[in-house]
Amino acid sequence: MIRDSSRFQPFSEQPIRLVGDQGEWLGAFALDLSDDDLIQIHRDLVRARLLDERLVRLQRQGKSSFVAPAAGHEGIQVAVAHAVEAGRDWLYPYYRDYGLAAAFGVPLLEIVGQMLGTLADPAKGRQMPSHPGSAALNVFTAVSPIAAHLPPAAGTGISMKMAGRGEVCVATFGDGATSEGDWHAGLNFAGAQGAPVVFVCENNRYAISVEFAKQSGSETVADKAHAYGMPGYRVDGMDVLACLYLMRELVQRARDGFGPALVDASVYRYGPHSSADDDSVYRPKEEVEAWRKRDPLPRYRSLLERRGLWDAGAEERLRAEVSEELNQAVRDAEAAGRPGIASMFDDVYAELPWHLRKQRDEATGA
Amino acid sequence: MSEWNLVQAIAGTLDAEMARDESVIVLGEDVGKRGGVFLATRGLFDRYGPDRVIDTPLSEAAIIGAALGMSVHGLRPVAEIQFADYAFPGFDQLVSQVAKTRYRSGGAFHAPLVIRMPSGGGVKGGHHHSQNPETHFVHTAGLHVVYPSTPSDTAGMLRTAIRSDDPVVVLEPKRLYRAVKEQVPADPEHAVPFGSAMVRKRGDDVVLISYGASMAETARSAEALHAQGIEATVIDLRSLMPWDRDTVLQEVARVGRCVLVSEGPHTVGFMSEVAATIAEEILDALLAPPLRVSGYDTPYPYAQDREYLPGPRRVLNAVQRALDY
Repeated sequence: MIRDSSRFQPFSEQPIRLVGDQGEWLGAFALDLSDDDLIQIHRDLVRARLLDERLVRLQRQGKSSFVAPAAGHEGIQVAVAHAVEAGRDWLYPYYRDYGLAAAFGVPLLEIVGQMLGTLADPAKGRQMPSHPGSAALNVFTAVSPIAAHLPPAAGTGISMKMAGRGEVCVATFGDGATSEGDWHAGLNFAGAQGAPVVFVCENNRYAISVEFAKQSGSETVADKAHAYGMPGYRVDGMDVLACLYLMRELVQRARDGFGPALVDASVYRYGPHSSADDDSVYRPKEEVEAWRKRDPLPRYRSLLERRGLWDAGAEERLRAEVSEELNQAVRDAEAAGRPGIASMFDDVYAELPWHLRKQRDEATGA
Repeated sequence: MSEWNLVQAIAGTLDAEMARDESVIVLGEDVGKRGGVFLATRGLFDRYGPDRVIDTPLSEAAIIGAALGMSVHGLRPVAEIQFADYAFPGFDQLVSQVAKTRYRSGGAFHAPLVIRMPSGGGVKGGHHHSQNPETHFVHTAGLHVVYPSTPSDTAGMLRTAIRSDDPVVVLEPKRLYRAVKEQVPADPEHAVPFGSAMVRKRGDDVVLISYGASMAETARSAEALHAQGIEATVIDLRSLMPWDRDTVLQEVARVGRCVLVSEGPHTVGFMSEVAATIAEEILDALLAPPLRVSGYDTPYPYAQDREYLPGPRRVLNAVQRALDY
């Protein structure tokens, strides 16, 4: 039973890191993941990055209306996906989390279908792009209003606690979310009930253009955990192994009945907030370049190479394979076709009430 | 049969449904040991314990949002908002999250939950304890909205709401909570379907249409009219989303005159929709325009608590206008 993390201290001065800039292991304990696991993590990182690049391109090609780029966030996203148990635990992602969804097993076809608003989207093209979800995998479909998924995540956690089956809920959000009333409502209720929810801030330091210092008087997001009676951990969100080891401990701690925790994962988004944003007006180019040196992908690849698990050839093959997987997903998502007009009226209610039937008939000329 | 007032009908129905189905749980401010500030959850905490009768933090966003998260995970939560006026701190959770869950997920997730809200004026509560917010919720795709006026209907509609696979807002006429007792069917399957109005009285001179707390004033108006030799048909809509268009059109077409009584603000109130539908569908059958008698377009006042409400004097004036048209 994990009452508190045995390996990591909450509220640390510096974010937890386990892998150095050159891929060297910094941990005070042995890296005990299997070679297969280590390679799978790399595959998921690359897949998330290439997915992001493809989605940005689809938007530029005019095939989708919007994208919220996630490059730079892959470390924490892939770690969360590897820390929870598919089919048992629940995820409450936010709109930048399609890399998380992909690493968790949501098919690329569904993610691309959602981006394009075709029938390949299980949600039938109901939401704007960058809102992943999957009922089959317990991934609650992302919403737009910031932090609005956190009171529901707390509710799911309370329900899990009642059920007593050891399920855990992980909710992710950006740093701007911490200013919302719903953020407080969600963490406060989860704290009061000791609900098994791990709250994860993908802290990229900017809420569109507003830097964190204007968002909050708190020095860190982790500090806010004090107020809710839960531990707050600072972690290098671009160090996938630091994130993974930390998340595994906190998920297990929640599973064992010791309640919620808050993770403040420092990341950087290399792209703009969204396809509708110009980040050059609020972020100096030098800052972006400095953070590129900490890119989660090359750093992790160096670790694999130092261990003799990876080389340039393997990287080339992986990228070609993922590109083909994406080509196929885009082809299939486009071929699925657009939802018809009548489908606009489905799923408002379990059954179509008379007024919607009337409006549907009018819309379809029936 | 049980002799119940409206608030007892709520507590009794919650009890029966919680006994029937262990996925039914109750949450809200003071719903536990206190039994709710109006005692609508009285006795449940002792019977079902703190896991199923949850005293929440004082946060409507937390109550409504958590109810959503519980419902997608398999529970059937019944949330109490202490006064309908306090739905607004949780408005986004209700309007953008709860109401849209089924739609925006393409039916992958749905939210079988109930939000109960004591509503309406006449309790000397001032603006923040007297409002009738039904129009906000009727205007929100994805919510069912009901506003019963009798203990029996409240029991039956709450039961339908709890068993519904969609989110339901149950507005409760709090000034009628203890106004009347009536025999409520003890049948554990006593359920009132949504979208079905009840014709409370039949007359040939005018149709009075109302719902919720205003049914009390509307019924008194019908009695006053009867004393004058004017016979009214009285329709209790009971359910606002969906509403019973067929019963309304049929009765109004038969009689030709109607007065629509609701205590929420006048402009774009629910009765505006009813009046517009009558005008669109059966204009030729009308002997007078549909006339609305409503609350005023002011915030709900404290000192004029009673005068704000549409009472028999104003209803009778409107009926006279319809008869004279």
